[in-house]
Amino acid sequence: MKNLSYYYNLIKELSWADFKLKYYGSVLGLFWSFLKPFLMLLILYMVFNSFLKSGINNYHIFLLLGITIWNFFADGTKASLMSITSKKSILQKINLSPFIVVISTIIHSFWTFIITLIIFFILFFYFGLSLSISVLLLPVFIILLVLLILGTSFLVAPLHMKFKDFEHIWDVFLQMLFWATPIVYQYTAVPDKYSDIYLLNPVTRLIVDARNSIIYGFVPEVKQLLITTVIILSIFIIGLLVFKKYSRKLVEEL
Amino acid sequence: MIKINNLSKKYNIPHERKNTFFEMMLGYIKSQIDWEEFYALKDISFEIKKGEIIGLIGKNGSGKTTLLKIISGIIPPTEGKVEIDGKVAPFLSLGIGFHHELTAKENLYIYGAVLGLTRKEVNEKLSHILDFAGVKRFEDTKLKHYSSGMQARLAFSMMIQTDPEILIVDEIFAVGDKDFRPKCISVFQEYKEKNKTVLFSSHSLRTIKNFCDRVILLEDGKITKIGNPEDVVNYYANKK
Repeated sequence: MKNLSYYYNLIKELSWADFKLKYYGSVLGLFWSFLKPFLMLLILYMVFNSFLKSGINNYHIFLLLGITIWNFFADGTKASLMSITSKKSILQKINLSPFIVVISTIIHSFWTFIITLIIFFILFFYFGLSLSISVLLLPVFIILLVLLILGTSFLVAPLHMKFKDFEHIWDVFLQMLFWATPIVYQYTAVPDKYSDIYLLNPVTRLIVDARNSIIYGFVPEVKQLLITTVIILSIFIIGLLVFKKYSRKLVEEL
Repeated sequence: MIKINNLSKKYNIPHERKNTFFEMMLGYIKSQIDWEEFYALKDISFEIKKGEIIGLIGKNGSGKTTLLKIISGIIPPTEGKVEIDGKVAPFLSLGIGFHHELTAKENLYIYGAVLGLTRKEVNEKLSHILDFAGVKRFEDTKLKHYSSGMQARLAFSMMIQTDPEILIVDEIFAVGDKDFRPKCISVFQEYKEKNKTVLFSSHSLRTIKNFCDRVILLEDGKITKIGNPEDVVNYYANKK
């Protein structure tokens, strides 16, 4: 009975409900989701281009791509962290898989990401930049990014189910990761002695590769892309196993 | 058919709940054990045949809801096995787990999706569901304005739309009013005629006596009596 169309329909309804719940009673509604990355862009652009002189060409486009990818990661993981606890009453009373709850939450963040990405491309052409064939790698990056967010969410959601204050720990961690990821600066600015550890961060790898192939128009090394895939797949698989092992039990104890 | 073998459900009841990361770290450092074991269900075995109406009775905290939740697949048992043959539609009592900020109709779409109905199918059955629950006028009212009885009626009406082979109902009579009870009972009887299984818990001993084929009495997580409704209910009533 529980085939793919069942799950498809369930995920659709749950993410639609999330969408409605999020914007009930707000004036700007949907607009908030897009306002946030652009306000962030404005602030960071002011600080790092006008005050600090980043010296990066087309800094606004450079920055916007970084912010777009980062926001999907940060919002997606944060939202799925909260999703299980906020759907506690449903999970405890209906036979509903916690996996589905996390996935439907991420799908909600995914649509925001896609629309921000479309706006990015509109600005991209507006500022007179042009794409090369390497942009065809974009779907690969998006799939890897979604897998990374799913894997990370599966890893951290059980922690939040167990510890009510994990939410704050995750906030601080995200803040740290934001600066440890080349969003406002070039990754080449990182001193050589740190670069090995620095490049283990999958978000860094995705942002660097996405910038190279979209803005600068060259294809990343196959070897590097493979390393990225291996890192992300390991996170995804470990996350899946951890979530499978603990989620049901933790739902009982929420 | 439902077959249950040596089913147990164990909970660890903490003496002091650790909710935060910090509290847990402190606990590890002190390495104290501050919980005790509690069996909500202990070594339960029984079998339900197809087409039976089974009543579940027992005091509060005797494990009725836990048992129904395990059979519905909402929580896993600690030990033992549950074998089920057929599609189960679980309905579990008060506050079924709707979104209170959404309207009744929007909630029905979500609940429908959980039960395996598409939005289109829900729409086709919508007026029937709302009629049965007696909340037709409040289709677009947010659920937070519904009374708990109305919510329970809505959930029950929705659930029977999926036409499950096994119906599991927890305490519907405690929330339904005098007009809703006969409706529920006629649904149960209709299910019996279709050779489907109904398992429900209730504190209404009269209802149990009148409509069940067999009754299970749970006491402190154990089955103390199972069989003919008359005998079990009288045994339970006299014991008090």
